[in-house]
Amino acid sequence: MANLANVLALVAALGGAIAAHAQATNKPGPMQSGAHASAPQAPSAAVPDAAAASAAGAFDPRQLFANVCGWCHSSGGREAGKGPKLMGTTLTDGELAYRIKTGKTGQMPAFGSALNDQQIAAVVTYIRNLKPEGAQ
Amino acid sequence: MKFRLSAMAVAAILAAGCGSLAADVTSDRLLKADSEPGNWMTYHGNYQSWHYSGLSEINAGNVKGLREAWSHVASRSVRGLQSYPLAVDGVLYYSGSYNQVWALDGATGEVLWQYKQKLNEDLVAKQTHSPYNRGIAIGYGNIYMGTLDGKLAAIDMKTGKLVWETKLVNSEKLTVGFTGAPLLVKDKVIIGAQGGEWPDRGPIFGVDAKTGKQLWRFYTAGGEENNGDARNTWLNNSWRTGGGGGWMPGGYDAETNTVWWGTANPAPLYDWSGPDYKTKGARPGDNLYTTSVILLDPDSGKLKGYHQELPHDAWDFDSATGEFVMIERDGKKYTVHPSKSGFVWVYDRNAKVQNVWRLIKNINFVQDIKPDGTLVGRRDMTEGKHKSLCPFIAGGMSWNMGSYNPKTGMLYKVGNEWCMDLEIKKTTPILEPMAQLNIGADFNIINPPDGKARGHVSARDPITGAMKWEIQFPEPPLASLLSTGGNLLFVPDARGWLRAYDATSGSELWNHNNGQGHNGGIISYQAKGKQYVAVMTGWGGLAGDDYAEFFKGTFAQMPKDSGIIKVFALP
Repeated sequence: MANLANVLALVAALGGAIAAHAQATNKPGPMQSGAHASAPQAPSAAVPDAAAASAAGAFDPRQLFANVCGWCHSSGGREAGKGPKLMGTTLTDGELAYRIKTGKTGQMPAFGSALNDQQIAAVVTYIRNLKPEGAQ
Repeated sequence: MKFRLSAMAVAAILAAGCGSLAADVTSDRLLKADSEPGNWMTYHGNYQSWHYSGLSEINAGNVKGLREAWSHVASRSVRGLQSYPLAVDGVLYYSGSYNQVWALDGATGEVLWQYKQKLNEDLVAKQTHSPYNRGIAIGYGNIYMGTLDGKLAAIDMKTGKLVWETKLVNSEKLTVGFTGAPLLVKDKVIIGAQGGEWPDRGPIFGVDAKTGKQLWRFYTAGGEENNGDARNTWLNNSWRTGGGGGWMPGGYDAETNTVWWGTANPAPLYDWSGPDYKTKGARPGDNLYTTSVILLDPDSGKLKGYHQELPHDAWDFDSATGEFVMIERDGKKYTVHPSKSGFVWVYDRNAKVQNVWRLIKNINFVQDIKPDGTLVGRRDMTEGKHKSLCPFIAGGMSWNMGSYNPKTGMLYKVGNEWCMDLEIKKTTPILEPMAQLNIGADFNIINPPDGKARGHVSARDPITGAMKWEIQFPEPPLASLLSTGGNLLFVPDARGWLRAYDATSGSELWNHNNGQGHNGGIISYQAKGKQYVAVMTGWGGLAGDDYAEFFKGTFAQMPKDSGIIKVFALP
């Protein structure tokens, strides 16, 4: 069973990857489970073995869409669902980042405390690079 | 205000001709709810989840004269009114978005009081399944409501003032709070947290109805140490990723002193394990007690029994929809439980499966479920793209309630015919604060193989599933149903039409356009000796949010921040 100490040991062992990740993040982004040392506060926050094993993975907007954003933005943002289609959006990068950070009452949650600025920028880049299914 | 209250109370007593009706709502009174057809005192109408009113002043012979008596506009109705009104002794109580509650004169709609819960609004702004509330409970002079930020609140039903509040869930850390209605059982209030898509483990709580003291807790994902500990059904400690919320109120069988509660799916919703789900994937094992029916002792919270309807649910087909229709036939007692999967389970009172029948046509997540509850031909998906999984994630049935009518012996229920394409992704387990959803796939809604996406309301034998009649709707209605002693079935639909049908034949007798979609409850009650029908209006729930893009038409313009309770009576 993994506990906080194991996670910290793993983080230490994977110092190179984590250092790179830490440089890219100016504050912990909870969307990335187990990758940062500051978040778990209590023993009950110990992570499953699988989480510890993947703790060193970099922030991946595709995963974020599969877990969270895709609930409303269908097909990874390529189609409208509960929320609008994001591929080809006419919003500016700044408008996209602002919406992700603050949300919109009754339509979109605010992610400003779950994602840091770099992670939000990565999500904006993901949206900008969306292509139709099958296109490269 | 005081004058109004006392005048109304006197009127209610005079109308009923019985002073005892002014007494507190207690569990004993709820046990005999059928003897008070003028009141609707608990979410499901009675402990048996009938959603039936014995009133017959409005009936199949005169319903064509039904007209709007009064309405009340709920402020801040983001995502519409999704709750169930309650009516006791001539007063109608209902909750709305952001944990607001109103008490209204049941005959006139005059506001007696309103209550606005002080919420952590920063937290609410971060929640996905928010800010709606789906219902309240009444007992011991209080209105009970679970809050978006994880509290159970008791509000004085005469004054609308907060009596006590108890923090039950660390919502600031876990995202989830309460949206479902509580259930009063004896001197306890039982309530389940949101769950399924988040890293919490779906706790259900028992709270002292008078003092607000938390008495017990039961974790539906993995159980509790020394009480249904099931963590060995989640390999690699994956029980910590959670799920399993009991997000709708269940039922109560007083004869065996057993609370029946349904639980949600495990997290992540979609697993890449494929057929090797017992040993591989995100959460190897059966994942007890998710997507299950659990039987709890209301006094201790001890697990008395369970049946897992979908072992290792890999499709988000919750059993949490809260409807446990308890009926008796030929001397045998049954509990009938519809689920999001599109199947209806029939149990004896010990949760032993007696039959399973299908309400909808388009099901392919399994080939079949046998009458003994065994799943046949599971569609366990691996990482990658999958076409036409049926039903759609919103379910073959959603959380809107059906209605059982003891006079016709029929169960009336909404079914949804729709499917989805999806791409399952291998994701990192999510455990930390404000981690939001844990889905594990990209997906989109599609038409089913047999035609256009649609809904239907059918009249069924609750034990065998035999269909007496069925009415088609161009989009699945997402509101609850009401049947009455006047041989009526009321169906509030998605476009905004409220329709009344002959409960025996299914022929339409009356309709009225309420101006916006329905996504909440409907009741009938009596005030000053007269029968009323009250229905929630307002659009923008989690299932309905797909309608604007998919069904288009009127849904493209329908507001998602409007809520009005509409009340009807004969002239």
